[in-house]
Amino acid sequence: MKKRGYKKFIPYIYSFPGLALIGLMIVFPILYTGYISLTNMNVYHWFDFQVIGFQNYMKALFVLDTGFLTAFGRTIVWTIVNMVLQMIIAFVIASLLNVEGLRLKGLYKTILMFPWAMPGYISILLWKMGMFNTEFGLLNHWLNKLGFANVHWLNSNNIAFASSVMVNLWLALPFMIMIIDGALQSIDKAYYESATIEGAGYFSKARKITIPLLRPIIAPAVVITIFTTFKQFDIIYLLTQQQGSKTGADIHTIITYTYEKAFVTNNYGYSSAISIIIFMILIIFSLTIRGRLKGGDVDA
Amino acid sequence: MHRRTKHRIKMSLLNLFFIVACLLCIVPILYTLSVSLNGTNNILSGSFSFIPKEVTFDNYKAVLFNKPYLLWLKNTLILVIATVTISLAVAIPAAYAFSRFRFIGRKTILYILIILNAFPSILSMFAIYRILMPMKLVNSYLGLILIYVGTMAIFGLWNMKGYFDTIPIEIEEAGKIDGANDFQLVTKLIMPLAKPSIIVTAVMIIIFVWNEYIFAVTFMTGAEKYTLAAGLYALQATQYTRNWPIFSAASLLTAIPILIIFLVIQKNMVSGLTAGGVKG
Repeated sequence: MKKRGYKKFIPYIYSFPGLALIGLMIVFPILYTGYISLTNMNVYHWFDFQVIGFQNYMKALFVLDTGFLTAFGRTIVWTIVNMVLQMIIAFVIASLLNVEGLRLKGLYKTILMFPWAMPGYISILLWKMGMFNTEFGLLNHWLNKLGFANVHWLNSNNIAFASSVMVNLWLALPFMIMIIDGALQSIDKAYYESATIEGAGYFSKARKITIPLLRPIIAPAVVITIFTTFKQFDIIYLLTQQQGSKTGADIHTIITYTYEKAFVTNNYGYSSAISIIIFMILIIFSLTIRGRLKGGDVDA
Repeated sequence: MHRRTKHRIKMSLLNLFFIVACLLCIVPILYTLSVSLNGTNNILSGSFSFIPKEVTFDNYKAVLFNKPYLLWLKNTLILVIATVTISLAVAIPAAYAFSRFRFIGRKTILYILIILNAFPSILSMFAIYRILMPMKLVNSYLGLILIYVGTMAIFGLWNMKGYFDTIPIEIEEAGKIDGANDFQLVTKLIMPLAKPSIIVTAVMIIIFVWNEYIFAVTFMTGAEKYTLAAGLYALQATQYTRNWPIFSAASLLTAIPILIIFLVIQKNMVSGLTAGGVKG
Protein backbone atom coordinates (compact mmCIF):
# COMPACT_ATOMS: atom_id res chain seq x y z
CA MET A 1 0.00 0.00 0.00
CA LYS A 2 2.76 2.34 0.95
CA LYS A 3 4.60 1.50 -2.24
CA ARG A 4 1.58 2.36 -4.38
CA GLY A 5 1.26 5.68 -2.63
CA TYR A 6 4.85 6.45 -3.50
CA LYS A 7 4.35 5.37 -7.11
CA LYS A 8 1.65 7.96 -7.58
CA PHE A 9 4.23 10.70 -7.13
CA ILE A 10 6.81 9.33 -9.55
CA PRO A 11 5.71 11.28 -12.65
CA TYR A 12 5.60 14.47 -10.60
CA ILE A 13 9.09 13.85 -9.29
CA TYR A 14 10.41 13.17 -12.80
CA SER A 15 8.87 16.25 -14.31
CA PHE A 16 9.42 18.56 -11.35
CA PRO A 17 12.82 20.06 -12.31
CA GLY A 18 11.66 20.87 -15.84
CA LEU A 19 8.31 22.23 -14.80
CA ALA A 20 9.87 24.22 -11.97
CA LEU A 21 12.26 25.92 -14.38
CA ILE A 22 9.46 26.64 -16.84
CA GLY A 23 7.36 27.98 -13.98
CA LEU A 24 10.15 30.21 -12.74
CA MET A 25 11.40 31.55 -16.07
CA ILE A 26 8.23 31.60 -18.20
CA VAL A 27 5.06 31.47 -16.12
CA PHE A 28 6.12 33.70 -13.26
CA PRO A 29 7.41 36.48 -15.55
CA ILE A 30 4.13 36.41 -17.48
CA LEU A 31 2.14 36.73 -14.25
CA TYR A 32 4.47 39.48 -13.10
CA THR A 33 4.00 41.23 -16.44
CA GLY A 34 0.28 41.07 -15.75
CA TYR A 35 0.85 42.72 -12.37
CA ILE A 36 3.13 45.44 -13.79
CA SER A 37 0.50 46.16 -16.44
CA LEU A 38 -1.83 47.31 -13.66
CA THR A 39 0.71 49.79 -12.25
CA ASN A 40 2.25 53.07 -13.32
CA MET A 41 5.77 51.63 -13.17
CA ASN A 42 8.23 53.61 -15.28
CA VAL A 43 11.72 54.98 -15.01
CA TYR A 44 10.61 57.62 -12.46
CA HIS A 45 8.52 55.16 -10.49
CA TRP A 46 10.95 52.30 -10.21
CA PHE A 47 10.13 51.41 -6.60
CA ASP A 48 7.30 53.72 -5.58
CA PHE A 49 4.88 52.67 -8.30
CA GLN A 50 1.16 52.39 -7.63
CA VAL A 51 -1.57 50.10 -8.82
CA ILE A 52 -3.65 52.15 -11.24
CA GLY A 53 -6.07 49.50 -12.49
CA PHE A 54 -6.79 49.21 -16.17
CA GLN A 55 -5.60 52.68 -17.22
CA ASN A 56 -2.76 51.30 -19.32
CA TYR A 57 -5.15 49.04 -21.18
CA MET A 58 -7.55 51.93 -21.77
CA LYS A 59 -4.70 54.02 -23.10
CA ALA A 60 -3.59 51.28 -25.50
CA LEU A 61 -7.02 50.40 -26.79
CA PHE A 62 -8.90 53.69 -26.80
CA VAL A 63 -6.37 56.50 -27.19
CA LEU A 64 -5.80 56.71 -30.90
CA ASP A 65 -2.48 58.50 -31.10
CA THR A 66 -0.43 56.17 -28.87
CA GLY A 67 0.58 54.18 -31.90
CA PHE A 68 -0.60 50.84 -30.60
CA LEU A 69 -3.61 50.54 -32.88
CA THR A 70 -1.52 51.58 -35.89
CA ALA A 71 1.08 48.99 -35.00
CA PHE A 72 -1.63 46.41 -34.55
CA GLY A 73 -3.12 47.15 -37.95
CA ARG A 74 0.32 47.03 -39.51
CA THR A 75 0.97 43.64 -37.89
CA ILE A 76 -2.21 42.25 -39.44
CA VAL A 77 -1.25 43.60 -42.87
CA TRP A 78 2.28 42.28 -42.40
CA THR A 79 1.00 38.80 -41.57
CA ILE A 80 -1.49 38.64 -44.44
CA VAL A 81 0.87 40.02 -47.10
CA ASN A 82 3.65 37.69 -46.07
CA MET A 83 1.48 34.60 -45.81
CA VAL A 84 -0.23 35.13 -49.16
CA LEU A 85 3.02 35.75 -51.03
CA GLN A 86 4.73 32.92 -49.22
CA MET A 87 2.03 30.36 -49.99
CA ILE A 88 1.85 31.30 -53.67
CA ILE A 89 5.60 31.40 -54.29
CA ALA A 90 6.29 28.26 -52.25
CA PHE A 91 3.52 26.39 -54.05
CA VAL A 92 4.85 27.37 -57.48
CA ILE A 93 8.45 26.48 -56.64
CA ALA A 94 7.54 23.22 -54.93
CA SER A 95 5.35 22.07 -57.82
CA LEU A 96 8.07 22.97 -60.32
CA LEU A 97 10.55 20.98 -58.23
CA ASN A 98 8.24 18.00 -58.64
CA VAL A 99 8.03 18.15 -62.42
CA GLU A 100 9.04 14.72 -63.64
CA GLY A 101 12.48 14.48 -65.18
CA LEU A 102 14.09 17.34 -63.26
CA ARG A 103 17.46 15.75 -62.66
CA LEU A 104 19.14 18.33 -60.45
CA LYS A 105 16.26 18.53 -58.02
CA GLY A 106 18.43 17.54 -55.04
CA LEU A 107 21.00 20.23 -55.77
CA TYR A 108 18.40 22.96 -56.30
CA LYS A 109 16.66 21.99 -53.11
CA THR A 110 19.85 22.14 -51.07
CA ILE A 111 20.70 25.59 -52.39
CA LEU A 112 17.17 26.84 -51.79
CA MET A 113 17.43 25.64 -48.17
CA PHE A 114 20.44 27.91 -47.49
CA PRO A 115 18.54 30.91 -46.12
CA TRP A 116 16.84 28.63 -43.62
CA ALA A 117 20.15 27.24 -42.43
CA MET A 118 21.75 30.64 -41.89
CA PRO A 119 21.41 32.18 -38.44
CA GLY A 120 18.47 34.56 -38.85
CA TYR A 121 19.95 37.67 -37.28
CA ILE A 122 23.11 37.34 -39.39
CA SER A 123 21.08 37.12 -42.59
CA ILE A 124 19.10 40.18 -41.60
CA LEU A 125 22.22 42.18 -40.81
CA LEU A 126 23.78 41.03 -44.09
CA TRP A 127 20.71 42.19 -45.98
CA LYS A 128 20.86 45.50 -44.19
CA MET A 129 24.55 46.08 -44.81
CA GLY A 130 25.07 44.20 -48.05
CA MET A 131 21.87 44.60 -50.00
CA PHE A 132 20.01 47.65 -48.73
CA ASN A 133 22.84 49.99 -47.78
CA THR A 134 22.42 53.20 -49.72
CA GLU A 135 26.07 53.75 -50.65
CA PHE A 136 27.55 50.31 -51.15
CA GLY A 137 24.56 47.98 -51.09
CA LEU A 138 24.24 45.57 -53.95
CA LEU A 139 20.71 46.63 -54.88
CA ASN A 140 21.71 50.24 -55.44
CA HIS A 141 24.84 49.06 -57.19
CA TRP A 142 22.64 47.22 -59.69
CA LEU A 143 20.26 50.15 -60.01
CA ASN A 144 23.17 52.47 -60.78
CA LYS A 145 24.43 50.10 -63.44
CA LEU A 146 20.99 50.20 -65.04
CA GLY A 147 21.10 53.98 -64.90
CA PHE A 148 18.73 54.59 -62.01
CA ALA A 149 19.33 56.75 -58.98
CA ASN A 150 19.98 55.40 -55.50
CA VAL A 151 17.01 54.25 -53.48
CA HIS A 152 16.89 54.64 -49.71
CA TRP A 153 15.59 51.18 -48.99
CA LEU A 154 15.05 51.49 -45.26
CA ASN A 155 14.38 55.17 -44.65
CA SER A 156 10.74 55.73 -45.48
CA ASN A 157 7.81 53.67 -44.30
CA ASN A 158 6.47 52.07 -47.45
CA ILE A 159 9.78 51.09 -48.98
CA ALA A 160 11.11 49.90 -45.63
CA PHE A 161 7.99 47.79 -45.16
CA ALA A 162 8.41 46.26 -48.62
CA SER A 163 12.09 45.62 -47.92
CA SER A 164 11.17 43.87 -44.68
CA VAL A 165 8.64 41.71 -46.52
CA MET A 166 11.34 40.79 -49.00
CA VAL A 167 13.70 39.69 -46.24
CA ASN A 168 10.96 37.78 -44.49
CA LEU A 169 10.13 35.91 -47.69
CA TRP A 170 13.78 35.14 -48.20
CA LEU A 171 14.02 33.74 -44.68
CA ALA A 172 10.72 31.90 -44.55
CA LEU A 173 10.25 30.45 -48.03
CA PRO A 174 12.65 27.49 -47.62
CA PHE A 175 10.61 25.99 -44.79
CA MET A 176 7.37 26.38 -46.70
CA ILE A 177 8.86 24.97 -49.92
CA MET A 178 10.15 22.00 -47.96
CA ILE A 179 6.75 21.36 -46.36
CA ILE A 180 4.79 21.66 -49.62
CA ASP A 181 7.38 19.60 -51.48
CA GLY A 182 7.05 16.82 -48.90
CA ALA A 183 3.28 16.99 -49.07
CA LEU A 184 3.26 16.87 -52.88
CA GLN A 185 5.33 13.71 -52.83
CA SER A 186 2.83 12.03 -50.54
CA ILE A 187 -0.03 12.51 -53.02
CA ASP A 188 -0.87 9.34 -54.90
CA LYS A 189 0.09 9.75 -58.58
CA ALA A 190 -2.90 7.64 -59.60
CA TYR A 191 -5.21 10.61 -59.01
CA TYR A 192 -3.41 12.62 -61.67
CA GLU A 193 -3.32 9.74 -64.12
CA SER A 194 -7.05 9.25 -64.01
CA ALA A 195 -7.58 13.01 -64.17
CA THR A 196 -5.37 13.23 -67.26
CA ILE A 197 -7.35 10.43 -68.88
CA GLU A 198 -10.50 12.40 -68.22
CA GLY A 199 -8.90 15.36 -69.93
CA ALA A 200 -8.24 17.66 -66.96
CA GLY A 201 -5.73 20.47 -67.56
CA TYR A 202 -3.01 21.76 -65.24
CA PHE A 203 -5.15 24.29 -63.41
CA SER A 204 -8.16 22.10 -62.90
CA LYS A 205 -5.87 19.38 -61.57
CA ALA A 206 -4.29 21.85 -59.16
CA ARG A 207 -7.69 23.09 -58.03
CA LYS A 208 -9.48 19.77 -57.81
CA ILE A 209 -6.72 17.40 -56.68
CA THR A 210 -3.54 19.06 -55.45
CA ILE A 211 -4.87 21.84 -53.27
CA PRO A 212 -7.62 19.88 -51.47
CA LEU A 213 -5.25 16.99 -50.77
CA LEU A 214 -2.46 19.32 -49.74
CA ARG A 215 -4.47 21.35 -47.31
CA PRO A 216 -4.73 18.95 -44.36
CA ILE A 217 -1.07 17.90 -44.66
CA ILE A 218 0.38 21.39 -44.67
CA ALA A 219 -2.15 22.98 -42.30
CA PRO A 220 -0.08 22.58 -39.08
CA ALA A 221 3.02 24.05 -40.73
CA VAL A 222 1.00 26.94 -42.12
CA VAL A 223 -0.48 27.69 -38.71
CA ILE A 224 2.97 27.68 -37.15
CA THR A 225 4.19 30.06 -39.86
CA ILE A 226 1.26 32.41 -39.30
CA PHE A 227 2.26 32.57 -35.64
CA THR A 228 5.93 33.19 -36.34
CA THR A 229 5.09 35.86 -38.91
CA PHE A 230 2.72 37.58 -36.52
CA LYS A 231 5.36 37.50 -33.77
CA GLN A 232 8.27 38.38 -36.07
CA PHE A 233 10.54 40.80 -34.24
CA ASP A 234 14.05 40.50 -35.65
CA ILE A 235 13.49 41.64 -39.22
CA ILE A 236 11.79 44.95 -38.59
CA TYR A 237 13.81 45.67 -35.47
CA LEU A 238 17.23 44.95 -36.95
CA LEU A 239 16.52 46.53 -40.33
CA THR A 240 15.07 49.80 -39.12
CA GLN A 241 15.11 50.23 -35.35
CA GLN A 242 18.33 48.85 -33.98
CA GLN A 243 19.68 51.01 -31.18
CA GLY A 244 22.40 53.25 -32.56
CA SER A 245 21.45 52.80 -36.19
CA LYS A 246 17.85 53.78 -36.63
CA THR A 247 16.95 54.47 -40.21
CA GLY A 248 14.04 56.82 -39.71
CA ALA A 249 11.29 54.56 -40.97
CA ASP A 250 8.49 54.05 -38.48
CA ILE A 251 7.11 50.62 -39.21
CA HIS A 252 6.42 49.25 -35.75
CA THR A 253 4.62 45.97 -35.40
CA ILE A 254 3.11 45.24 -32.00
CA ILE A 255 6.15 43.30 -30.84
CA THR A 256 8.72 45.95 -31.72
CA TYR A 257 6.35 48.55 -30.27
CA THR A 258 6.20 46.69 -26.95
CA TYR A 259 9.97 46.35 -26.87
CA GLU A 260 10.46 50.05 -27.52
CA LYS A 261 7.98 51.06 -24.80
CA ALA A 262 9.82 48.85 -22.30
CA PHE A 263 13.47 49.38 -23.12
CA VAL A 264 13.70 52.67 -25.00
CA THR A 265 11.02 54.95 -23.59
CA ASN A 266 10.91 53.02 -20.28
CA ASN A 267 7.15 53.00 -19.87
CA TYR A 268 7.01 49.62 -18.17
CA GLY A 269 3.38 49.57 -17.05
CA TYR A 270 2.07 50.51 -20.48
CA SER A 271 4.42 48.13 -22.27
CA SER A 272 3.33 45.28 -19.99
CA ALA A 273 -0.31 45.99 -20.71
CA ILE A 274 0.38 45.63 -24.42
CA SER A 275 2.28 42.39 -23.76
CA ILE A 276 -0.78 40.99 -22.05
CA ILE A 277 -3.08 42.14 -24.86
CA ILE A 278 -0.85 40.41 -27.43
CA PHE A 279 -0.77 37.29 -25.28
CA MET A 280 -4.56 37.26 -25.14
CA ILE A 281 -4.76 37.60 -28.92
CA LEU A 282 -2.32 34.70 -29.34
CA ILE A 283 -4.25 32.50 -26.90
CA ILE A 284 -7.62 33.18 -28.54
CA PHE A 285 -6.14 32.63 -31.97
CA SER A 286 -4.42 29.38 -31.03
CA LEU A 287 -7.49 28.01 -29.25
CA THR A 288 -9.74 28.65 -32.26
CA ILE A 289 -7.22 27.29 -34.74
CA ARG A 290 -6.40 24.21 -32.72
CA GLY A 291 -10.04 23.43 -32.19
CA ARG A 292 -10.57 23.56 -35.94
CA LEU A 293 -7.41 21.68 -36.85
CA LYS A 294 -7.55 18.58 -34.73
CA GLY A 295 -10.51 18.81 -32.44
CA GLY A 296 -8.14 19.99 -29.72
CA ASP A 297 -6.62 16.58 -29.17
CA VAL A 298 -3.63 17.13 -26.93
CA ASP A 299 -2.95 13.45 -26.63
CA ALA A 300 -1.96 13.02 -30.26
CA MET B 1 10.52 13.67 -82.37
CA HIS B 2 8.50 16.83 -82.06
CA ARG B 3 7.37 15.84 -78.60
CA ARG B 4 10.94 15.24 -77.52
CA THR B 5 12.09 18.69 -78.61
CA LYS B 6 9.15 20.20 -76.81
CA HIS B 7 10.06 18.29 -73.69
CA ARG B 8 13.66 19.40 -74.00
CA ILE B 9 12.72 23.06 -74.29
CA LYS B 10 10.46 22.70 -71.30
CA MET B 11 13.23 21.14 -69.23
CA SER B 12 15.78 23.79 -70.21
CA LEU B 13 13.39 26.55 -69.26
CA LEU B 14 12.74 24.82 -65.95
CA ASN B 15 16.45 24.45 -65.26
CA LEU B 16 17.03 28.06 -66.19
CA PHE B 17 14.29 29.08 -63.78
CA PHE B 18 15.91 27.15 -60.94
CA ILE B 19 19.40 28.43 -61.70
CA VAL B 20 18.11 32.01 -61.49
CA ALA B 21 16.11 31.23 -58.35
CA CYS B 22 19.10 29.62 -56.67
CA LEU B 23 21.34 32.54 -57.56
CA LEU B 24 18.83 35.06 -56.23
CA CYS B 25 18.56 32.94 -53.14
CA ILE B 26 22.24 32.96 -52.24
CA VAL B 27 23.22 36.33 -53.66
CA PRO B 28 23.41 38.03 -50.23
CA ILE B 29 25.68 35.27 -48.98
CA LEU B 30 27.86 35.29 -52.11
CA TYR B 31 28.19 39.05 -51.94
CA THR B 32 29.24 38.84 -48.31
CA LEU B 33 31.78 36.17 -49.16
CA SER B 34 33.10 38.30 -51.98
CA VAL B 35 33.42 41.38 -49.77
CA SER B 36 35.15 39.43 -47.02
CA LEU B 37 37.74 38.05 -49.45
CA ASN B 38 38.31 41.24 -51.40
CA GLY B 39 41.88 42.47 -51.11
CA THR B 40 41.38 45.88 -52.62
CA ASN B 41 38.91 47.82 -50.54
CA ASN B 42 36.87 49.12 -53.42
CA ILE B 43 33.31 48.52 -52.26
CA LEU B 44 32.70 52.24 -52.04
CA SER B 45 34.14 52.96 -55.43
CA GLY B 46 32.23 52.13 -58.56
CA SER B 47 34.78 49.57 -59.65
CA PHE B 48 33.56 46.83 -57.37
CA SER B 49 33.47 43.45 -59.05
CA PHE B 50 31.71 40.41 -57.73
CA ILE B 51 34.71 38.15 -58.13
CA PRO B 52 37.58 39.66 -56.14
CA LYS B 53 40.58 40.59 -58.28
CA GLU B 54 42.83 39.98 -55.35
CA VAL B 55 41.84 37.33 -52.82
CA THR B 56 42.94 37.91 -49.26
CA PHE B 57 42.29 36.32 -45.90
CA ASP B 58 43.35 39.44 -44.00
CA ASN B 59 39.82 40.17 -42.88
CA TYR B 60 39.49 36.70 -41.42
CA LYS B 61 42.83 37.07 -39.69
CA ALA B 62 41.76 40.42 -38.32
CA VAL B 63 38.59 38.88 -36.94
CA LEU B 64 40.34 35.94 -35.35
CA PHE B 65 43.27 37.82 -33.86
CA ASN B 66 42.36 41.46 -33.27
CA LYS B 67 38.70 41.62 -32.48
CA PRO B 68 37.39 40.00 -29.30
CA TYR B 69 35.99 37.27 -31.52
CA LEU B 70 37.58 34.31 -29.74
CA LEU B 71 36.40 35.62 -26.40
CA TRP B 72 32.85 35.86 -27.74
CA LEU B 73 33.17 32.36 -29.14
CA LYS B 74 34.24 31.08 -25.73
CA ASN B 75 31.30 32.81 -24.04
CA THR B 76 28.92 31.38 -26.62
CA LEU B 77 30.27 27.87 -26.11
CA ILE B 78 29.87 28.15 -22.34
CA LEU B 79 26.25 29.17 -22.78
CA VAL B 80 25.56 26.54 -25.43
CA ILE B 81 27.04 23.65 -23.43
CA ALA B 82 25.37 24.66 -20.17
CA THR B 83 21.98 25.23 -21.82
CA VAL B 84 22.01 21.97 -23.77
CA THR B 85 23.08 19.92 -20.74
CA ILE B 86 20.58 21.39 -18.31
CA SER B 87 17.72 21.44 -20.83
CA LEU B 88 18.17 17.79 -21.71
CA ALA B 89 18.69 16.81 -18.07
CA VAL B 90 15.34 18.32 -17.07
CA ALA B 91 13.40 17.68 -20.26
CA ILE B 92 14.16 13.97 -20.80
CA PRO B 93 12.73 12.76 -17.46
CA ALA B 94 9.80 15.12 -17.83
CA ALA B 95 9.10 13.95 -21.38
CA TYR B 96 9.32 10.36 -20.15
CA ALA B 97 6.87 11.05 -17.34
CA PHE B 98 4.39 12.73 -19.69
CA SER B 99 4.71 9.97 -22.25
CA ARG B 100 4.54 6.91 -19.98
CA PHE B 101 2.51 7.82 -16.91
CA ARG B 102 -1.09 8.88 -16.64
CA PHE B 103 -1.45 11.29 -13.75
CA ILE B 104 -3.75 14.04 -12.58
CA GLY B 105 -3.01 17.30 -14.34
CA ARG B 106 -1.13 15.69 -17.22
CA LYS B 107 -3.37 16.90 -20.03
CA THR B 108 -3.82 20.32 -18.49
CA ILE B 109 -0.08 20.85 -18.12
CA LEU B 110 0.59 19.73 -21.70
CA TYR B 111 -2.05 22.13 -22.91
CA ILE B 112 -0.70 25.02 -20.86
CA LEU B 113 2.78 24.32 -22.21
CA ILE B 114 1.53 24.67 -25.80
CA ILE B 115 -0.06 27.98 -24.98
CA LEU B 116 3.08 29.17 -23.19
CA ASN B 117 5.11 28.25 -26.24
CA ALA B 118 3.03 30.68 -28.26
CA PHE B 119 4.13 33.50 -25.96
CA PRO B 120 7.18 35.35 -27.30
CA SER B 121 9.58 35.72 -24.38
CA ILE B 122 10.47 39.21 -25.59
CA LEU B 123 7.10 40.34 -24.21
CA SER B 124 7.99 39.38 -20.65
CA MET B 125 11.59 40.45 -20.97
CA PHE B 126 11.20 43.42 -18.68
CA ALA B 127 9.51 41.31 -15.99
CA ILE B 128 12.33 38.77 -16.26
CA TYR B 129 14.82 41.60 -15.89
CA ARG B 130 13.12 42.84 -12.75
CA ILE B 131 12.88 39.36 -11.28
CA LEU B 132 16.51 38.51 -11.95
CA MET B 133 17.90 41.81 -10.75
CA PRO B 134 17.46 41.38 -6.98
CA MET B 135 18.79 37.84 -7.37
CA LYS B 136 21.98 39.34 -8.86
CA LEU B 137 21.40 37.33 -12.03
CA VAL B 138 21.42 40.27 -14.42
CA ASN B 139 24.76 40.55 -16.18
CA SER B 140 25.54 36.96 -15.26
CA TYR B 141 25.68 33.89 -17.46
CA LEU B 142 23.60 31.91 -14.99
CA GLY B 143 20.72 34.32 -15.56
CA LEU B 144 20.91 33.93 -19.34
CA ILE B 145 21.24 30.15 -19.04
CA LEU B 146 18.10 30.00 -16.88
CA ILE B 147 16.17 32.06 -19.44
CA TYR B 148 17.32 29.86 -22.31
CA VAL B 149 16.65 26.63 -20.42
CA GLY B 150 13.15 27.77 -19.47
CA THR B 151 12.35 28.56 -23.10
CA MET B 152 13.86 25.42 -24.58
CA ALA B 153 12.58 23.05 -21.89
CA ILE B 154 9.04 23.46 -23.25
CA PHE B 155 10.17 22.68 -26.77
CA GLY B 156 12.33 19.76 -25.60
CA LEU B 157 9.59 18.28 -23.46
CA TRP B 158 7.01 18.33 -26.24
CA ASN B 159 9.38 17.24 -28.95
CA MET B 160 10.79 14.26 -27.07
CA LYS B 161 7.47 13.27 -25.53
CA GLY B 162 6.11 12.95 -29.06
CA TYR B 163 8.95 10.64 -29.96
CA PHE B 164 8.76 8.59 -26.76
CA ASP B 165 5.10 7.99 -27.55
CA THR B 166 6.10 6.18 -30.73
CA ILE B 167 8.37 3.74 -28.86
CA PRO B 168 6.28 0.65 -28.07
CA ILE B 169 5.72 0.12 -24.38
CA GLU B 170 6.29 -3.64 -24.80
CA ILE B 171 10.02 -3.01 -25.04
CA GLU B 172 9.97 -1.52 -21.57
CA GLU B 173 7.86 -4.32 -20.19
CA ALA B 174 10.46 -6.78 -21.38
CA GLY B 175 13.08 -4.71 -19.59
CA LYS B 176 11.01 -4.57 -16.42
CA ILE B 177 10.71 -8.35 -16.34
CA ASP B 178 14.48 -8.47 -16.49
CA GLY B 179 14.50 -6.35 -13.36
CA ALA B 180 15.46 -2.92 -14.72
CA ASN B 181 14.37 0.15 -12.75
CA ASP B 182 13.07 3.36 -14.31
CA PHE B 183 16.47 4.97 -14.49
CA GLN B 184 17.91 1.96 -16.31
CA LEU B 185 14.87 1.81 -18.58
CA VAL B 186 15.37 5.40 -19.64
CA THR B 187 19.14 5.37 -19.99
CA LYS B 188 19.58 1.87 -21.43
CA LEU B 189 16.44 1.41 -23.50
CA ILE B 190 14.60 4.63 -24.24
CA MET B 191 17.50 7.00 -24.79
CA PRO B 192 19.28 4.84 -27.37
CA LEU B 193 15.99 4.32 -29.21
CA ALA B 194 15.09 8.00 -28.99
CA LYS B 195 18.51 9.17 -30.15
CA PRO B 196 17.27 10.89 -33.33
CA SER B 197 14.81 12.96 -31.38
CA ILE B 198 17.31 13.76 -28.63
CA ILE B 199 19.87 14.85 -31.22
CA VAL B 200 17.35 17.06 -33.01
CA THR B 201 16.33 18.60 -29.70
CA ALA B 202 19.95 19.24 -28.75
CA VAL B 203 20.72 20.76 -32.13
CA MET B 204 17.67 23.02 -31.95
CA ILE B 205 18.86 24.22 -28.55
CA ILE B 206 22.37 24.83 -29.89
CA ILE B 207 21.00 26.84 -32.81
CA PHE B 208 18.68 28.79 -30.52
CA VAL B 209 21.45 29.82 -28.13
CA TRP B 210 23.94 30.48 -30.92
CA ASN B 211 21.47 32.84 -32.61
CA GLU B 212 19.98 34.59 -29.60
CA TYR B 213 21.05 38.20 -29.39
CA ILE B 214 18.32 40.33 -27.86
CA PHE B 215 18.43 38.88 -24.34
CA ALA B 216 22.21 38.69 -24.52
CA VAL B 217 22.60 42.39 -25.35
CA THR B 218 19.93 43.54 -22.94
CA PHE B 219 21.08 41.52 -19.95
CA MET B 220 24.85 41.72 -20.44
CA THR B 221 26.83 44.90 -20.13
CA GLY B 222 30.33 45.16 -21.47
CA ALA B 223 31.64 43.68 -24.69
CA GLU B 224 33.84 41.19 -22.84
CA LYS B 225 30.74 39.32 -21.68
CA TYR B 226 29.03 39.23 -25.06
CA THR B 227 28.19 36.13 -27.01
CA LEU B 228 28.95 35.97 -30.73
CA ALA B 229 25.41 37.06 -31.56
CA ALA B 230 25.52 39.98 -29.15
CA GLY B 231 29.00 40.90 -30.30
CA LEU B 232 28.10 40.96 -33.99
CA TYR B 233 24.97 42.91 -33.19
CA ALA B 234 26.96 45.53 -31.33
CA LEU B 235 29.74 45.58 -33.91
CA GLN B 236 27.23 46.38 -36.61
CA ALA B 237 25.38 49.07 -34.69
CA THR B 238 28.28 51.21 -33.56
CA GLN B 239 29.23 53.73 -36.17
CA TYR B 240 32.92 54.01 -35.48
CA THR B 241 33.74 50.32 -35.73
CA ARG B 242 31.67 49.94 -38.86
CA ASN B 243 33.89 48.06 -41.16
CA TRP B 244 31.94 46.06 -43.68
CA PRO B 245 34.67 43.64 -44.85
CA ILE B 246 35.54 42.66 -41.27
CA PHE B 247 31.91 42.39 -40.33
CA SER B 248 31.22 40.08 -43.26
CA ALA B 249 34.16 37.87 -42.39
CA ALA B 250 32.97 37.64 -38.78
CA SER B 251 29.39 36.91 -39.87
CA LEU B 252 30.40 34.10 -42.16
CA LEU B 253 32.69 32.57 -39.53
CA THR B 254 29.76 32.61 -37.12
CA ALA B 255 27.24 31.28 -39.63
CA ILE B 256 29.31 28.39 -41.00
CA PRO B 257 29.07 26.00 -38.00
CA ILE B 258 25.29 26.37 -37.93
CA LEU B 259 25.07 26.02 -41.69
CA ILE B 260 27.02 22.76 -41.58
CA ILE B 261 25.08 21.30 -38.65
CA PHE B 262 21.86 22.24 -40.35
CA LEU B 263 22.65 20.71 -43.71
CA VAL B 264 23.87 17.50 -42.03
CA ILE B 265 20.75 16.93 -39.97
CA GLN B 266 18.30 18.54 -42.42
CA LYS B 267 16.41 15.29 -43.04
CA ASN B 268 16.23 14.41 -39.36
CA MET B 269 15.07 17.86 -38.60
CA VAL B 270 11.85 17.75 -40.54
CA SER B 271 10.92 14.27 -39.31
CA GLY B 272 12.12 14.99 -35.78
CA LEU B 273 10.12 18.18 -35.62
CA THR B 274 6.95 16.93 -37.23
CA ALA B 275 6.97 13.81 -35.06
CA GLY B 276 6.62 15.76 -31.86
CA GLY B 277 6.33 19.48 -31.65
CA VAL B 278 4.13 20.21 -34.60
CA LYS B 279 1.45 17.71 -33.76
CA GLY B 280 -1.40 18.37 -31.38
